[in-house]
Parts: sequence; C-alpha cells; structure tokens
Amino acid sequence: MLNVIVQRLILSIPVLFGVMLFGFLLMQVVPGDPALVVAGPSATPDVVAAIREEMGLDKPVLVQFWGYLERMAQGDLGRSMISNKAVTEELGAALGPTLELMIGAMIWSVPVGIAMGTLAAVLRGSLVDRAIMALSVAGVSLPIFFISLVMIQWLGVTYPIFTFIGRPGPWYTAEGFMGLFLPAFSLGLILIGPVARMTRSSVLEVLKLDHVRTARAKGLSETRVILAHGLRNALIPVITLVGLQVGYLLGGAVVTETIFSWPGLGRLAVGAILSSDFTVAQGTIMLFALGFITVNLIVDVLYSLLDPRVRK
Amino acid sequence: MTAKTRSIRAGLGIATAMVLALPAAAQELTIIRNQDSNHYDPARTAALSGSEVLFMLADTVVGLDEDMSTIVPHLASSWEISDDALTYTFTIKEGVTFCDGKPMTAEDVAYSLNRWYDPETKSPVRWRMGDVKSITAPDATTLVYELNEPHSELLYQLAQSFGSVVDKETVEALGPDFGVTGFNGTGPFCWESWTPRDKMVLTRHEGYTWGPTNYENTGPAQVEKVTWQIVPEAATRTVAMLTGQGDISPYVPYIGVDKLRKAPTVDIVESNEAFWTNYVGFKITKDMVGDVKVREAINLAVNQEAMAEDLFFGEVEPAYSYISSGALDWDESLDDKLLTYDPEKAAALLDEAGWTLNSAGKREKDGVVLSPLAITFTGEWQTTVEAVQADLLKVGIDMQIEPMDATVYWGKSATDDFDMYVMGFPYVSAGDALNLYFRSSNIPTPNRMNYNDPKTDELLLTGSHATSDGDRAAAYGEVLATVHDEAIWLPIYHKPMQIAVSKKMKPFEAHNIYGAGLYKGLQLGFAD
Repeated sequence: MLNVIVQRLILSIPVLFGVMLFGFLLMQVVPGDPALVVAGPSATPDVVAAIREEMGLDKPVLVQFWGYLERMAQGDLGRSMISNKAVTEELGAALGPTLELMIGAMIWSVPVGIAMGTLAAVLRGSLVDRAIMALSVAGVSLPIFFISLVMIQWLGVTYPIFTFIGRPGPWYTAEGFMGLFLPAFSLGLILIGPVARMTRSSVLEVLKLDHVRTARAKGLSETRVILAHGLRNALIPVITLVGLQVGYLLGGAVVTETIFSWPGLGRLAVGAILSSDFTVAQGTIMLFALGFITVNLIVDVLYSLLDPRVRK
Repeated sequence: MTAKTRSIRAGLGIATAMVLALPAAAQELTIIRNQDSNHYDPARTAALSGSEVLFMLADTVVGLDEDMSTIVPHLASSWEISDDALTYTFTIKEGVTFCDGKPMTAEDVAYSLNRWYDPETKSPVRWRMGDVKSITAPDATTLVYELNEPHSELLYQLAQSFGSVVDKETVEALGPDFGVTGFNGTGPFCWESWTPRDKMVLTRHEGYTWGPTNYENTGPAQVEKVTWQIVPEAATRTVAMLTGQGDISPYVPYIGVDKLRKAPTVDIVESNEAFWTNYVGFKITKDMVGDVKVREAINLAVNQEAMAEDLFFGEVEPAYSYISSGALDWDESLDDKLLTYDPEKAAALLDEAGWTLNSAGKREKDGVVLSPLAITFTGEWQTTVEAVQADLLKVGIDMQIEPMDATVYWGKSATDDFDMYVMGFPYVSAGDALNLYFRSSNIPTPNRMNYNDPKTDELLLTGSHATSDGDRAAAYGEVLATVHDEAIWLPIYHKPMQIAVSKKMKPFEAHNIYGAGLYKGLQLGFAD
C-alpha cells in the first residue's frame, strides 16, 4: 500500500511541472494586459507603460518563466498583480469557503444518490425505478444556475432565514449555516443524478454475478445480499465518479459561487483569468492540479480497501 | 398542505421572525454592489468600486455638493486663490483625527497630495492634478498648492477620492499592502476588514464631525457599521433587495428597477444628473469612418430613443450630446444642433458621400462595402451594439461586431484594429470629459479616436488655464461645438443614478460624484 502511495507521489512531480508550464504558457497566449486593467480606462500611455514595467511584463517571456520557476521552487507564489495581495493569502481565503460548499453539497447528496440508485436497481422496472431515473435525468439536465435561482425564489424569498448573498460566517455558526444551506443544497441537487444513475447500473451489474447468487443460495437475507455483497462491490465506479466530482467542484462550482456570491476558489480563478492576473491564475491552476492529484490518490487507496485484487 | 409541512412552515416562520427581530442588525447597513475594487489605495486606483468605499474611509480637502457644481468646505474650512490662479492657499481644520486617533494636520494633506502626484506612485489619474509646481504645508493649518499653469478644474478634481488624505506612517508601514490589508484615513468610517470579491466592512469613526457642509449631518455617521457586499449576479441583487437582505443597492439591473419601484418595502432614489455617458466612438483615421458624412449618417441612423425603451426598459435617457446637458460648461446653444434619429437624411448623406446601395442592399464605394468593425464588451454593451447594427443595416451599413471580454477589450481598444469602439465614462464637467478624451497627447488611450486637432488642443489648454468661469465655459463650448460637428462619437445614453433603498432607511438625496451615489454615507440612517 505504501509503495502505491510513494509511486503515485513521485509520478505527480512531472505532472505538476507540466501544469506549471502549461498554466504559464496559457496565460501568455491569452489576450489581455494586466497593466491596462490596473491603470483603468482613462490612464495615459506613459502611465500604462510605467505600470507594465513595474509588473515585470516588459521582460522577455523566458525571463518571466525562469523567475516564476525560481519563486515556485521556494514555495513563493508571488503577489496578485491586481490587488497586490499575497497569492497564498488569496488562495487560503478562498479554499475554506470552497471546501465548505463542496462538503456541504456532497455530505447529503452522495448518500441520497447511492440510496436512490440502489433502490432503483432493486426495484428495477417498477414505478419507483422510473420515478427515480426521471428525477436523475432532470437533475443531470437542469442547469445549475436555473436550480439556484429557483431555490432562491422558492426558499430564500419565502423564508428570509436562508440568506443567499455571500458567506455570513463559518458553517458552524447559526448565520453561517443558514448562508451555506441554499448554495450547498442547490449544488447537491445536481450531484444526485449522476451518483444515482451510476449506482443503479453498477448494482444491477453486480447483482447478476455468481457470488451474489451464492450469497442468496447460502440463505442470506435479501438486505444483507444487496448491502454487503451487491452494493459494496458496486461502489468502485461510484467512488471514481465522486472523486471526479470532488476535483470538479474544487474549481468548477463557479456558477453556484457567482449566483450566491460565495467567495470561493472558482470565483477567484475566473476573476483572475478575466483580469489577466497571471500570478493568481497560476496559483489557482496549481492548487486545482494538486487537488486533482490528491483526490486521485485517495480514490486509488479507497479502491484497494474495497477491492483486494487491486492491492495485488 | 399536510400537518407536517404546516409545522415545518410554522417552524421556519418563527425562526425567520426571530432572526428579523434581532436588534443587533438595526445599526448595521448592508450595501450590495456588483464588483470589488482591485485595492483601496486612493492614489493608485481609478475604479469606481474603489472610490465608493474610499469616500467613506477618507476625506478630501474640499467636498462637492449634490448639485455637482458647488464646491463646499471639507478638510479645508476655507481657501483663497491668487489672482493669477496659480496659488491655492487652504486653511485646514483643526481637531481632525485619523481612525487610529492621531491628529491630522496640513502636513498629512500635503503628503497625500504629493504622493498622488509623485510619478513613483504611478497614479493612473495623476493628470487630474494639473501642472503642479509644489504642494507644501508651511504650518499645521495651512496648505499651499502651487501650479505652473492655471487649472480651472482643480477644486473639482481635489474633491475626488484620489485626493483622499491618508496617514503617512500607515502607508509606509504597510508598503504594498496599504489599502489591501489596512488603511488609516480621517473619513466617517474606518477600515475593519476586506475579503476581496466578498465584502468590505467599515465601522463608524466615533468623534467624526468634519463632514462636508452639503450634509445636514456633518458627523458622526448615523450607522455603526457598513458592509459593502459583492453580489455579482444581477438577479440575486434584485431579490436580495426585495427580501431585505440588503438595505441599499446602487446596482439594480434595469430590468429589475420597476419591480423594485412597485415593491412595498423598497424605494428607488433617482437622479438624472448622474454625469455618466455611454457612447460609441469612431477611429476617425480609418477609411471606413474617416468621412464626417459617414459618421453623421451613422448618428442619424441610430434610434437612441427606441434603444432606451426596448433595451433599458425606459430607465435611461437617450443621448445625443457627448455629455449631459446638466454638466458644468455644457453649451446650451448646441441643444438644437444635435443629431437625432432621421434615417432618410442618413441615407441622403451616404449617397452624397459616394456610398451607394448595391444589389444586396449594402452601401458600396469603389467595390468596397461600407462595413465598419466595432469592438465591444460582451454582455449589456454587446446587446447595445447589436441594436446599433440593426439600425445601420436599415440604411445599408453592414457593421461588423467583435465582442470580447473586458480585459481583452482594454488592450484591444489601445490598438488601431477597429473602426468603432464602445465606452462609458463618469465626469464632473465638460472640461473633465473633453480634456480626457480629445487631447491629442492622449492618443491611443483614452483618445481612442485618434482625434488630433491643434485648435482643439489649444482651446482645451485655454479652458484648463482659464481664470474666469466665462472664459472657461467659452473655450469648452467651442470644443464641444467642434467635436459634435465632426461627429466623433455616437452618443447612446446618459446613465441615471438609481439607488434601490429599503423603506427602513431615512430618505436621502443621491450624489453623483464619479458615479459614487452614496458619497460620504453621512446621510444614511435607519428611520425610527
């Protein structure tokens, strides 16, 4: 097991370097000039030139990239070109709210999705199955901005305890929890669909297998057959899916974050890219890459826990 | 409804009532806006979102009345201007303190203004200060501002947030973090915390009594705490105002204004003298729009009134002039000469200019189709330009549109790769707007039209150096007449100041300074 982890960690080094290079080059080819953003629309050309020089943007690309590598090697992500805030500080401030939103959405939607999927598989072809699948399709198809606005209209307007502008505080405070509720609930709604569908098809596959028939033949109760022998083995693809969703949510909940004014990583990344804030954009790209690598590592470890064959 | 849903609803209702009844919220004001500033260092930001907060955090030498033309005492109780208009001597008030309790003197004012002017600061709005010779504080209550050339707009410019007085020690201690992690000003509110893209929290500056005299209440502020909350989504802002999650929002989308106006809990505070104009500019050195007749024809072919009605729900004022007619030094004699909607005349002008209709219904000359390229921001501006495109097609002009994101746009608009571009801008007066956009030294930005006329340059200098109101108005009036004659821009609309305000608040008048409708915030208070 330790071998797997070490091997994975070593493999992630070239991946990170690649991400750094790619992130840097991408920001170079994207049109846009941070000096113009800082200077504002009414600035005169000499002011723009002075600001560009101060930012080091007048230097050749290679010199800029070398400086960037040097800083990264020292663990220094630099300062935001726009706000001048340390990038680590910006990332630190946005990571907490994003994790809060991600966990808040998954903590209820993943179990609900798995339960719905299992139920649909067991009652295959019944009205319940069809209803669950219809809901899943709706969940997959409805865009998140639509769900979010409906939630604001439905719950936020009727019950003002559910706030929907910004993050009033950490989740464990009363106001913080009420502020988290609507975005986490809306985001969770779109996760249920894929999880339920994946669980259903995976459980159906597993229930056809020999060991399940053996378990039934042994006289085990149907509940035990489904939960211990069916669901446990069916969870592997579901875990992969959830892992991918975690990676996606780390940076991809931009729309939810925008509608609910949630100060998370998605908005930080999009804001940085839109304002050509190279340093912050590169910092967020690095963080997303690290996030994906970590999640994949965890998924791999979970695999081996669930399926002894993987360990070999 | 089942018993269970009834009890859930009842429970939620009680919880709601409890939250709403919390007394703590009573003196805390939440202002909702659409975007954050890059930072809050007054000398280094030209962003409106920066000014909105800086007016509350810091003070300026002089203030500006709601009428947008009367300069009122603020940190200076009085001032004298020498006969040659080169020396301004201000008497700075005593007893003014920074948020950390330190007394503020004329030396702090001189430091802040010199910092703004220092090329090292790289202020994007340094030009607003005029040609400065020196700014000194001979004693604790005297500030002497000396110019090499007269600058008729000086007092208006000194009322802007860029001239905010800041504490030297804090600036030096925080270095690049000044206005990012902290601030120390003399304003009616003090910096508590800033989370970029989320919120800025300000607390009342106790003991503040030196507000500008346009306010009945010159301090302290009526509310204890102000939170500037960023809500990027327009629909969310509207609903947040409807549900009382925000107390004030100057950023309600046009589509939501009427809904809020009719809502029982919200008022819309309005002012038409907002001095913010959106226009389409012509790159006059380009072949497509180099002929004044073509530019005039485009002006005549566009129906601004229909656009104001259809795109902006009748909430904006269609514009035919380059600045609002209420702005200082607007020349009323131009009112009758402005180009208004007349597609037939537009077609005649195009014929006259040699652009005749081809078989496809497009204007053509020497085998070239009249198809100017317009660059635009995505979003609301793109919709506006598409409406212009539709109007122009009716007279045979095949305008092309290249929409792009804001950051890309700023870079692109500094190039020569387009025929038309879009822009919206705030101003305090004719001189403010004209000096910025029509000086040849400001090519390629902000003079993106490549407008280069020595006579205009000279008149702008005359206006800027004028020592009497009459001379200044005459010079700027002449420039206004010239640029309108040349049809350098296609004005689209004058943006009104519209602020959604909860009915829990006391009524107040909107300000218009640099588009910052709440100005110092001293007028903001909850009704009993």
